[in-house]
Amino acid sequence: MNLVQQLINGIVLGHGYALIAVGWTVLLGVARLVNFGHGQIYMLAAFVTWWAVAGLGLPYPVAILAAMLAGVLIGLLMQAAMLRLTFAQDLVSIMIVTLGFGHMMRGIAGLVFGGHPQVLETPLSYIDFEIAGAWVTAQDLAVVLVGIAAFALLHFGLERGTLGRTARMVAEDPKLAQLAGIDVKRVYFAVFAFEGAAVALAAAMVAPRTPILTSIGFEEVIVTFVVVVLGGIGSVAGSYAAGLGLGIFTALFGGFVSPAYATTAAFGVLIVVLVLRPSGLAMRAGGR
Amino acid sequence: MSTPILEARELRVTYGGHVALDIPHLALAPGELVGVVGANGAGKSTLVNALLGWSRGAPAVSGSVRLAGEEIGALPPHARVARGLALVPEGGAVFMRLSVAENLAAATPPAGAAGRAHDEAQIEALFPRLRERRHHMASALSGGERQMLAIARALRLGPSALLLDEPSIGLAPRLVTDVLRAVRGLVDQHLSVLLVEQNVRAAIAVVDRLILLERGRILAQGPVAAMRDDPRILEAYLGEAAA
Ligand SMILES: Nc1ncnc2c1ncn2[C@@H]1O[C@H](COP(=O)(O)OP(=O)(O)OP(=O)(O)O)[C@@H](O)[C@H]1O
Ligand SMILES: [Mg+2]
Repeated sequence: MNLVQQLINGIVLGHGYALIAVGWTVLLGVARLVNFGHGQIYMLAAFVTWWAVAGLGLPYPVAILAAMLAGVLIGLLMQAAMLRLTFAQDLVSIMIVTLGFGHMMRGIAGLVFGGHPQVLETPLSYIDFEIAGAWVTAQDLAVVLVGIAAFALLHFGLERGTLGRTARMVAEDPKLAQLAGIDVKRVYFAVFAFEGAAVALAAAMVAPRTPILTSIGFEEVIVTFVVVVLGGIGSVAGSYAAGLGLGIFTALFGGFVSPAYATTAAFGVLIVVLVLRPSGLAMRAGGR
Repeated sequence: MSTPILEARELRVTYGGHVALDIPHLALAPGELVGVVGANGAGKSTLVNALLGWSRGAPAVSGSVRLAGEEIGALPPHARVARGLALVPEGGAVFMRLSVAENLAAATPPAGAAGRAHDEAQIEALFPRLRERRHHMASALSGGERQMLAIARALRLGPSALLLDEPSIGLAPRLVTDVLRAVRGLVDQHLSVLLVEQNVRAAIAVVDRLILLERGRILAQGPVAAMRDDPRILEAYLGEAAA
């Protein structure tokens, strides 16, 4: 196997991972919430994209927007159901409710989209480039660019300005934020809408690389865990770096050692890092 | 008498089955400073929190709360803040991970309150310490400085009525006087304040009226001149035998 090719695969994979995890970064970092239906929103959004392109004949960019809209609606629906739990910061119940939502989504997807694997073909998958003897498709390039754009926007949105300050206030003390005049409920809805939209965007970008089945989504949740935890919970830059690092690690391990054990190895790395540096890899002033 | 700026009727708060507060009527006149005193667990915090519809716990609150005549008793806390009611909760709550400047900027005056809101210059004139510490994280402030920051943040919201829950707690005796004097000064500029205070002696020096709470009920209330000599106040809080 060619090293440059594996590195490029890793970079593409890593941006995909980071993109998949971006919603959770905000969810956990801003609102101290979790969503174990994350993987199934990914799965549903992949199907919606496929259906919009293959079934309705819509252009790919419109299909991406349709998937994101579906993600937003699912996110809002989930948060509406859990609002009381959210206010009570009852993480265990939230975990169980979101897991339940995930299973329901899988059932619904089975009913609507059937059990056959589908392949999403986008116009970008047919365009190839050669870089230093390695091949990339325009779809790969788009994953990288969208990943960078999503993280840059989020970084600037959250690190400065009113939005970021509001987010940090709600993250630190939602009750106190109410006294500063913040409608915390709206923030929670916005965060879940973002989570839905972000994972749907990731699905629409990344899913064309693999067959789409109702059973996908589990691996995406695992990847999200690793990225968010390694990155230092809630750190935008940390998640980006962790996603990229995990992608490159997986590609190199898969290319030169064994693809079958790449995920296992990634978990090994996660455990080692957590034992040595419980707050994740990211260094942060006043860190958490 | 003019319309009270803040008025509560049949205000009841229960935790589980336990009645923590039961107040048939309470009013705060415009430009008035009313002190609320009572033993630990008397329901002082429960009272000011209930007026804002806010709590760290999950109490059941019922009753009517009016702000300048408008019923706000069913509104969520942020909506009451938007209408001009502000609360500085027990323990001088500030955002530890935000700087002093950010804590102040975090409280944006709601539309309509802009005229009443303290601007940065006024805040700094009131609490010069905060200017020196502008760029520090709130977690690096002393307890007293945090208390000042919490009050300053509430003033940034431009409230027409302010609820203060033990602003002097943890402060050096001199600072207690300073903070309470500052509160008095605000009231003289027509802010209306309900002040919960453990330090009865210090409270008596600044308030217009005093309310004595016991087990969630109003045991006595009246102008400070009369309450000062009330035997229940004298014995329990000023450590003097009733004359
Ligand atoms: N979260 C809660 N859950 C259950 N009971 C509570 C809760 N908060 C307060 N109480 C009860 O309500 C009553 C009034 O409490 P509150 O905090 O209002 O007293 P306080 O007068 O402010 O006392 P302190 O001077 O100690 O601040 C007490 O009996 C207290 O035990
Ligand atoms: Mg109290």
